[in-house]
Amino acid sequence: MEKKSLFLLIFTLVFILSNYAEGQKEEVWPDPEKSITVVVPYSAGGGTDLIFRPLVEEMKKFTEANIIVSNISGAGSSKGTNEVLNLPADGYTLLASGTHTVSATLQGLTDGYKELEGIAGLNWDPFIVAVLKEKPWQNMQDLVSAAKKNPGTISLGNAGMGGATGVASVGMNLAFGGVFNVTPFNGGKDLRVNVLGGHCDVGIFSQSEILANQDKLKPLVILYNERSRLKDLNGVPTLKEAGFENLDVPGGSFRSISVKKGTPEHIKDKLIEIVRQAYNSQTYQNFMKENGLILAYYEGKELDEYFKKIEQAYITIMREAGLLR
Amino acid sequence: MAPLIEGFTQIFNTQTILLVAMGEVLGIILGSLPGLTATMGIALMLPISFKLSQAAGMALLLGVYCGAVSGASIPAILLGIPGNPNAIATVYDGLAMTQKGLAGQALGGAVIASFLGGIGSLILLMTFSPLIARFTLLFGPAERACLALVGLTIIASVSSRNLSRGILMGAFGLTLSLLGTDPFSSSLRIPFPRLFAKTPLSSGINLIPALIGLFGISQALLDLERIKEGMIAPKQVKMERFFPSLGKIVRMWRIILESIGIGTMIGAIPGTGASIAVFLSYERAKKVTRRSKKLNQLGSGCLEGVVAPEVANNAVTGGALIPALSLGIPGDSSTAVLLSALLIKGVVPGYQLFSQNLYLVYAIFFALFLSNVFMLTFQYFGVKWFPRVLSVPIAVLVPVILVLSMIGSYAIQGRAILAATFDMGVALILGVIGYFLKKGDYPIAPIVLGIILGGMFEENFRRAVKLAEGNYLVFFTKPISLAFIVLSLISVVLPLLRQRRRGA
Repeated sequence: MEKKSLFLLIFTLVFILSNYAEGQKEEVWPDPEKSITVVVPYSAGGGTDLIFRPLVEEMKKFTEANIIVSNISGAGSSKGTNEVLNLPADGYTLLASGTHTVSATLQGLTDGYKELEGIAGLNWDPFIVAVLKEKPWQNMQDLVSAAKKNPGTISLGNAGMGGATGVASVGMNLAFGGVFNVTPFNGGKDLRVNVLGGHCDVGIFSQSEILANQDKLKPLVILYNERSRLKDLNGVPTLKEAGFENLDVPGGSFRSISVKKGTPEHIKDKLIEIVRQAYNSQTYQNFMKENGLILAYYEGKELDEYFKKIEQAYITIMREAGLLR
Repeated sequence: MAPLIEGFTQIFNTQTILLVAMGEVLGIILGSLPGLTATMGIALMLPISFKLSQAAGMALLLGVYCGAVSGASIPAILLGIPGNPNAIATVYDGLAMTQKGLAGQALGGAVIASFLGGIGSLILLMTFSPLIARFTLLFGPAERACLALVGLTIIASVSSRNLSRGILMGAFGLTLSLLGTDPFSSSLRIPFPRLFAKTPLSSGINLIPALIGLFGISQALLDLERIKEGMIAPKQVKMERFFPSLGKIVRMWRIILESIGIGTMIGAIPGTGASIAVFLSYERAKKVTRRSKKLNQLGSGCLEGVVAPEVANNAVTGGALIPALSLGIPGDSSTAVLLSALLIKGVVPGYQLFSQNLYLVYAIFFALFLSNVFMLTFQYFGVKWFPRVLSVPIAVLVPVILVLSMIGSYAIQGRAILAATFDMGVALILGVIGYFLKKGDYPIAPIVLGIILGGMFEENFRRAVKLAEGNYLVFFTKPISLAFIVLSLISVVLPLLRQRRRGA
């Protein structure tokens, strides 16, 4: 056992030290001896994790270096973001960024996108507002008029105030004059279980969540300006089609890949190339199609501009929710 | 019938059987190292599972899952350090048995218990899955807050002799659980928020480094003292009879069945987890043994105290799969990663799984069965070797434990260097605190209960009140939450009355 534990000890130490190895300035990037880490600031098995894992599998095909996913969840998405900002800007650490990065930054939990630079924008996962089938509301009009009749009695759940569903729920509530009882839950799974159990009236979900519980949930409206690409959800009307024009609810989560500010241009270019090839691969395109993701591809500076747009849409809502700091 | 056969052939082929076996060994090793959890093991294997078929990938991951849950009891029994949160309640009687020289028997009992728990919950999963899934949906915020309350009353029973000290420690644990960001407003609840807003402290104290500190490091510090006092003779281990007799297991039938029930149900309620199940089953077993003449009293180092939590934690594996398969909502963090292996392959668990991929459901059942069989087989041989750890001189063992503890708390964060360093600090500080508390005869378990249940109670309490539009009486109007309140009142008041009667 002594030998065994000693061996284990050495093995683990080597493993950890290898993580530290940063190396000197290299001529060639990426060094095939090193690994590129994609930090996903949410736990393994979550919605964000799911978007990035297949992409990483594809990215591996276009570079000699190994690429791994590291889930660093906590404090919204700011814990993982802060970790990336703490590491050197050498292109070996990428962040799975997106709408969550904007909201975490606005909440003052991280320097977030102000200290990040875009590699590539990937896709939008549009949100769908749904209720339990047994609930009396048949469509969005029903729901809104019921809420307006008795303000505060109908609960509208989100997966956490700081995240994208939180922003969508506050935005929606704002658009309808604050008639809903907006309640945050502990992540998407917690929200879903509470809506399915009838404890929370209305929920804001991603498409795959609705599909998992197709038999029990009644989708009312998709918070996007187009209908879903998915056959099963194609019948769900947009806000406009449901009779609510001129309402602007930022309803969805956008996902992208960023690096720390100051990463050398030639490394960024290579990264952009790797992501572009992976993104355009048949496998990933199919994955996005099967999951009803809306393509939103931006490269480098375009992504930085796009982030500013998202910030504009978020800032009023965050202020309203009392989350702006 | 066709999906059943398809599921069978997907699992019972040489490749998949070998994968499960491999996963199992890896799981047991990971589980037995402090800080490395089942979730982490599964996440590590995830990229490999992508390259396999859906069924084979799931089988591999289930092997890791089962192995890691059962492996955690090894250090808990031998050294008093739970490998991961699944084995927190195994520590008491497990360590006490080791100190009596019965380490082999404790390990053997734990293995049998794990197997029974795993198979028992698998049977429940196969037969009552839709029913249990519907039942778990009844657990809204009000019910969960009250379940956490029931959990907190266990503080009374794990406080050994001194209740007020136990409550004090529970309050300390609760305080630790409040650190971090507010679950509703994301505002910071930490000292010096301006200074620490962008540090790992903003996401609070993690359970794993706290466990490593409170159990592992504090124990190592106490052992160091023993070296100084010259008590360095290694403990004697009786290397005989590893497995309990059939008669003994039959006599514990009630504990085993109740623990299977508790483990499966708690596992099936999303947002709870094994750490709560093991405490609840330990508590139940304590009540059962108190009334029985044939069984030993828990806490004194008896097999019953090892069997109850070990049955429960493996029963959680089957339980957590219930909502995962039928609703697509994982029961715990490990099953969340398991599900992602399916999702990435385009299989949506829940409704679609049963309507379109029924064979996969059967494949998962078979794989879980196979994992449990392998767990029994590997542990059967392992049990004879593991106790030899104890014959390592303590002067060597203590530094190794200390180093492993630090590595464990570092490694749990993966590549997050800031958070990992922070967690090492948490483990170290709580280790020193734990050392002084143990010296002063303050119980450690209530702190852990406070950390586990504090967040669950607070969040769900506030959510329940919010959903009830500010009505605090909501907890008394729902039958399940009311029942939990009554249950927790009884379990606090009854022992007090009994004590008074004895005193009078």
